[in-house]
Amino acid sequence: MTEQLVITLAVVFVTAGLLSLVANHFGLSPIPFYIIAGLIAGTFESVTQAEIIVLAQWGIAFLVFVFAIRIDFGDLESVLRDAEIAAVTQLIVVAPIALGIGYLFAVSLGVSDPLRNAVYFTTAVVLSSSLVGGVVLGSEIRDNLVHGRLASSIHFFDDLVAIGLLLILSTEVVTADAIAAQIGYGVLFVVAGLLIYRHGFPILVRLSEGDGELVLVGSISILIAFIAGAEFVGLSIVVGAFAAGVAIRSDGTQSLEVRNGIDAITDFFVAIFFVTVGALVAIPSIEVLVMASTLAVLVLVMNPIVHVLSFVYEGYDARTAFLAGSSLNQVSEFALIIAIQALLMGTIADAVFDAIILAAAATMVLTFLGRRVEDTVYEYVVARIFRRRRTRKVDDRSNVSDLADHVVVVGYGRIGRRIVETLEELGQPYVVIENDPVLWDELNAECRNYVLGDALAVYPWEKAQLADATLVCSTVDHRPLSETVLDLETDADVLLRAESADEAGELLEAGATHVAVPNVLAGEQLVSTVEELAAGETDAKTLEREQFDYFDALERYGFASRDERI
Amino acid sequence: MSEIALAADFAIIVVVATIIGLIARQTGQPTIIAYILTGIILGPVAFDVVTDEGLVELMADLGFAFLLFLLGLKMRFEDIREILPSVTNVAFGQTVLQTALAFLVAVALGFETQEILVIALATVFGATPIIVKILTDKDEITSLPGKIDVGVLIVQDIYLVIVLALFTADELGGAADIASTLGVILVMMSFIGIFSLFSSRYILPGLFRRIADNKDVFLIVAIAWAFLFVAVAEGANLDPKVGAFLAGISLAQLPYSKELEDRITPITDFFILVFFATIGLQIDGLSSLLAYWWQAIVASIVLMVGNFWIMFYLIDREGFDVETSFLGSINMVQVSEFSLIVGALAIDQELIGPDVLGYLSLMALLTMGVSTYIIAYNHAIYERLEPWFRRFESDDTTDAEIGTYEDHAIAIGYDEITESALPMLERKYGEVVVIDRQTDHVEKLEREGRYEYVFGDFRHTEVRKEANLKGAAFVLSSSVEREVNEALLEEVAEDATVFVEAERITDARALYDRGATYVIMSTHLAAEKISEYVELYVTDREAFDEAVDRDANGIEARRRRATLGSDDHGGADDAEAGDGSDVATDVGSDETPGGETHD
Repeated sequence: MTEQLVITLAVVFVTAGLLSLVANHFGLSPIPFYIIAGLIAGTFESVTQAEIIVLAQWGIAFLVFVFAIRIDFGDLESVLRDAEIAAVTQLIVVAPIALGIGYLFAVSLGVSDPLRNAVYFTTAVVLSSSLVGGVVLGSEIRDNLVHGRLASSIHFFDDLVAIGLLLILSTEVVTADAIAAQIGYGVLFVVAGLLIYRHGFPILVRLSEGDGELVLVGSISILIAFIAGAEFVGLSIVVGAFAAGVAIRSDGTQSLEVRNGIDAITDFFVAIFFVTVGALVAIPSIEVLVMASTLAVLVLVMNPIVHVLSFVYEGYDARTAFLAGSSLNQVSEFALIIAIQALLMGTIADAVFDAIILAAAATMVLTFLGRRVEDTVYEYVVARIFRRRRTRKVDDRSNVSDLADHVVVVGYGRIGRRIVETLEELGQPYVVIENDPVLWDELNAECRNYVLGDALAVYPWEKAQLADATLVCSTVDHRPLSETVLDLETDADVLLRAESADEAGELLEAGATHVAVPNVLAGEQLVSTVEELAAGETDAKTLEREQFDYFDALERYGFASRDERI
Repeated sequence: MSEIALAADFAIIVVVATIIGLIARQTGQPTIIAYILTGIILGPVAFDVVTDEGLVELMADLGFAFLLFLLGLKMRFEDIREILPSVTNVAFGQTVLQTALAFLVAVALGFETQEILVIALATVFGATPIIVKILTDKDEITSLPGKIDVGVLIVQDIYLVIVLALFTADELGGAADIASTLGVILVMMSFIGIFSLFSSRYILPGLFRRIADNKDVFLIVAIAWAFLFVAVAEGANLDPKVGAFLAGISLAQLPYSKELEDRITPITDFFILVFFATIGLQIDGLSSLLAYWWQAIVASIVLMVGNFWIMFYLIDREGFDVETSFLGSINMVQVSEFSLIVGALAIDQELIGPDVLGYLSLMALLTMGVSTYIIAYNHAIYERLEPWFRRFESDDTTDAEIGTYEDHAIAIGYDEITESALPMLERKYGEVVVIDRQTDHVEKLEREGRYEYVFGDFRHTEVRKEANLKGAAFVLSSSVEREVNEALLEEVAEDATVFVEAERITDARALYDRGATYVIMSTHLAAEKISEYVELYVTDREAFDEAVDRDANGIEARRRRATLGSDDHGGADDAEAGDGSDVATDVGSDETPGGETHD
């Protein structure tokens, strides 16, 4: 019995391992490949036996647990602020359409509860995947690009919506009373989680006396207790896992070890979960394929269009809106969780389940392929559509007087602000180009001249009167932008910023006047500081005092980041 | 959701083990004891609420397989090469002598023939998890006695794997059967063993070099590798755990094994808890545990003392000094957890009854409990006894010195910030160790061959230990992640000089509060520099031109150095793709979406 289970797990992991090699080779997220591994491993009947499904449920629990652990409640508001309009617009516009289509499918298939199945279909359309999206956007989020930030805010919003939906959909018979009871219990659980976060977890840490293993096992015990509680009152285990995640503190000295531990265990179970999900799919019929492809088209085409329109409406430039929108076109892993829970409750039709899983795997792969062509799509389609509107928008939200021999500063972050300060002191005319509408108020209040627009497009440069400029100073460490600046038709000198000396050298060869590399500067400062310390010219106390004075000065002049995220 | 109810047994085990573990922690007992006690309490001995069937059995099996996989992962030949000959002698002698001693004790206590054989084979001294855990906590795992113990345990593990394979073989009739079974086992094992060594040389390095940068794929492929061996061993009718062990060994020889250890350890901890609990569960009631209570006490005392002298004699004979021999021996005076495993297997094979397992369990509990305190106070004990032990002192002690880093410099993340500082650090501190989580950086370091390196994420304990963070005199971190830097400041020695990087002023202040010597802020530095240049540009064009030329030359020189350092490693795309976040590469959607475009 156990031997067979071990062999089954071997089948699960070896297929998952092989296909994740494929994913890695092409730089894709492994998740759709786990599902595909499941489709393959599904030919072994033992993969879908009860014990493996239990392990897969642990995968769900850990997935949600980790999601909740990572939520920073202090930051919640500012993260959601970015996304709320676009996310809500998308829900309002897309959900009814998807619901209608899903209902038609359900009726034509003759399933017993068409409305409920239509709801499952809708969740798959509406929600986008933070796990896959995080891989798609990896470098964008790292480089702090606006569209990366927008997309991950939407992902986060979608995940929260999913948890809420799970709360409601875990009732077998949907009535107002049942839903109210579910929500009531859900709130109680989260409150209990918060109480443990404040009072219980510190006790656990103290009793473990720094033993990471015990804190880890203790955290898992909290998870188990919450899941048991959730089952007891008839809630979805997902809600229990979410509340348990809320209870875990991810600060403190042992937190690195504990989080590493939970992450490793999560990876183990999550792989089982995705493979099992794939293994549960039967060989698809024509109806299933039609439904899956309709679902995929809705996710791949309609979602991005609605997102792009609402981002543009909010004031983002067309490129940012397009790039953010086009990274939101995949089925969420939460839709899979909702689907598998429904399958276990017996409230979803097999055909709908299969279609959702297939569409999920397909969209998760296609979203990566979409990345390869998105620049072309942007240039030939989106840019043309928005051209007229774009110039008008830039005109509306910019403020530029007549300039000559001025400096164009690209980017109004910390470096940009510092430069503007210097230029103000010197009385030198300047104009700032910035694409983040969140900074609009600040630009308006503090800069004499500014253009709110996309520095990769042509019009903002025209608006900034590039022809008369003497110096262009880009503070953005983003290679395509640096190249655009170098390609500009201008006699002005060009100051750029680069990530590495290598890149800086290339930019210099391409015609930049100067390229600043913060890491190199930091390296030089490091060496000289260590030498000074060693020679006894300064000591740690003095260094610290000097730095603190410097910080105070920065904060006084407003160069420190007022908003932690900017 | 009735399915989860299937897992209720497992859930109860984890929760109860946590509670007992916390209590045990207060009394300084190792967690293993708590886990076994959990099984005893939940099993037939006390409340009888949990059975070791279905998922619990699967998890216990997984736990054991992962433990052996992890053990295999720790078997780095280069770690013990210097003392390997001595260690092999000690391990061999110890295995033979203590088995003989256990045999004699069992005979003297009047067990039956078959039971005596099982007891003799099962009574192995030196519990790897206990010794490794406590010595690591005490920071003595890299000391000479610690290395000897670990070496002996590793050699012993090979012996145990064979014994285990013997016990899982289906039929053992006469001596001929045993011999042929042993033969088949050895052939099969060497076949899989050769495949594992072959792959560790020719297949795995290339494979893992590609995937080591992606932490999810890295882990899943490693687990898949373990399961592949498990399945093969199962197919060859061998103990699947032997497969897991050999899979571990083949991965251990890769430079990425430390990082892998850190990711496998929590999974092992999680499942092994269930495993140890099932040992307790298997005891058929309190009567079994106490069936041979006085025999267990007598045997424990005799074997602890006897085994100490066996080890002391063997280590001393290899020419190590008295203190080393003493400490190396006294650490090893507990029955290994493998006794219980062998015992449990022998029950499966109906070679012994539950009472004998009770005897073995009681002995394990007693010796493990006592030895926890012995290891914790090993130095104090030696000081008391030193005058008496002096008589064993001989002139020709040949203490092999084991290389560990001490008073060295550590650089976390290999990027342009650290790169420029490395030559200076080498000059000032002699030895420089770089910790980095990116394969291309590590390869570059390897090609240059100038600095030591550890592949791995700084967040991971094993990685920090490998670089001996606690003994470092200078630490430079180019990670801007506050939690990483805070963990760093928590762990370094009081008087170490620590340079860290921060992105935000609030972070920088917090890091100073926690004892950083200097906080580098490259963005603000760049802001100063660029605005200075803009000012020069506006006010003094000549000075600007001069400064710009100087910098351009500097960058050119840097690039030349970089290309010299890496002949075939060119291209703007892959070179220096990393930044301060190298050490911690997990940027996921889960993180707070940060910042804006323009900075």
